Amino acid sequence: MEILVCIKQVPDDSVEVHLTEEGKPDLANITPVVNAFDTYALEMAARLKEAGEGEITALCIGGEEARNSLKNCLAVGADHAYLVQEDRFDGSDSRGISHILMCAAKKIEEDTGKKFDLIFCGKEATDAALGQVGAELSEMLGTGVITNVIEVEFAEGQVCAKQETEEGYRLIETASPCVLTVTKPDYDPRYPTIKNKMAARKKPIGTIKAQDLSVLEPEKTGEGGAFVKTLKLYEPPKKEAGIKIQEETAQDSALKAVAMMADAKVF
Amino acid sequence: MDMTEYKDIVVYIETADKSPVKVGLEMLSPARKIAEKKGGKVRAVLIGDGIRTAAQKAAESGADEVILIESPEYEIFHLDRFANVMESVIKEVKPYAVFVGGTQDGKDLAPKLAARLKTGCASDVMDVKTEDGKTVYTCPLYGGTVLQDVVMETSVPQIAVLRSGAFKKSEETVKGTITEKNIPAADENIRLKIKDVVKEISETVNLEDAQVIVSGGRGMGSRENFELVKQLADLLGGVVGATRPAIEDGWISRVHQVGQSGKIVAPKLYIACGISGATQHVSGIMNSDYIVAINKDEDAPIFEVANIGIVGNAINVLPVMIEEIKKKKEAE
Repeated sequence: MEILVCIKQVPDDSVEVHLTEEGKPDLANITPVVNAFDTYALEMAARLKEAGEGEITALCIGGEEARNSLKNCLAVGADHAYLVQEDRFDGSDSRGISHILMCAAKKIEEDTGKKFDLIFCGKEATDAALGQVGAELSEMLGTGVITNVIEVEFAEGQVCAKQETEEGYRLIETASPCVLTVTKPDYDPRYPTIKNKMAARKKPIGTIKAQDLSVLEPEKTGEGGAFVKTLKLYEPPKKEAGIKIQEETAQDSALKAVAMMADAKVF
Repeated sequence: MDMTEYKDIVVYIETADKSPVKVGLEMLSPARKIAEKKGGKVRAVLIGDGIRTAAQKAAESGADEVILIESPEYEIFHLDRFANVMESVIKEVKPYAVFVGGTQDGKDLAPKLAARLKTGCASDVMDVKTEDGKTVYTCPLYGGTVLQDVVMETSVPQIAVLRSGAFKKSEETVKGTITEKNIPAADENIRLKIKDVVKEISETVNLEDAQVIVSGGRGMGSRENFELVKQLADLLGGVVGATRPAIEDGWISRVHQVGQSGKIVAPKLYIACGISGATQHVSGIMNSDYIVAINKDEDAPIFEVANIGIVGNAINVLPVMIEEIKKKKEAE
């Protein structure tokens, strides 16, 4: 069983992002991390691998700093890692990103002679929560896609997954290869052991450039190839802060608050 | 490409229990706005089985034409099948834009269509406006602390996933027509097999239409304490909301989740109990008329958006509030 896990490096989503004076996201002091949903995808893939056999390849598009994220993946279940590092891909929209991932997956398959049975993605990223890449990628690969997966089984070329819904779940089957997008399952991703961290440091991370991608259509990538073009970024107007109540006791604070709410006729 | 021939707006209206979902009807008002600028029509599409009443509702809610595709094969949502139907409708109508509601299934359908039609897709759209003849979509970044205006003028149709609760239902009473179309389920591109649809959560929670919401977060501390949130909600005739941590700790089911990855709400009164105010949560409550926050940390970001902020432990504050509100209500 060969598994590909596509990951994105994003700024730590527990930190608020604001714009610089130039109107660009100010990410200078925010730690880059692997997108939370991608860590769930990797954990699900790792459990699947451990229950059977096979290998996991992690794939990321990004700059030099994204190597660190791939190292982290190598420490928690990934056997191989590749970074698509190409400045001209910056500014790609979801279609562009999906196209690049598709080309990179094909390139890895060509090089290793293996075929991916399952392609995992997080259901969306925490920085731009679009949730488009899984569906787009599956169309480009001509495979099925099961989204919002919380459980998966794989046997004899058939994939059966539990898709979380608002009211429960759907049980969906499709043939491999296929794309799976993962949401938060019942479990948390594992932490790397020191031993695994050390081992991950020694593992190579393959670099993929545009020229390595035999089926690349460059006109689909980068800012120029994007269907979705950004006009501007701005911050939403701040809501004016109201009154803060901090009396001697919780009792007094509560009474004062209720009196104010009654005056405002909100109940 | 000559874009002037593309004028119509196709609105995919999802149904749940044979009724149009809320965002489905909400989308008709921005669709109307853009269609008028383009000189085109609003064409709603409904796919399902036994949904004629839903189609009528859409026809009375601001669609010029409702395209109704009914078949037992479409009784439950099937991504591949519904994408096939939408693709064939879109190819016939040749719209300028396709609006899809930001439900779980809508979020899957839209990018699938975008890939097939080789066009762009904007997600989680909070506002749609026209600038210099271009349609501009406003989308959140980083959980909503930054907004992004995007355009998709180089391909047709532009596809947009509109956020639930971000648009007001149209007050117009245009009487639209209903066109029945027979589009049999094709075998082509069918890759998924839905083996089972399981309802685990039977309660229905209508956060989106609620006038009063009382929400609890991690600061409630335990499932037992979370009962206080429910008590206050009951007393005010409101609905219980929750943050992701409270749901992950199992205090309440996930249908109660408020925020970016849950429901976007706009009640008259929102009471946040033991909620610090992470961006993902706050961006989902910003349209509330009046926000009351209770948190023991006086620097909690929730206080920046609250009309009244009570600095104190919600577990101590809530029982007093409940008693006092009871008294005031009885005195009325």
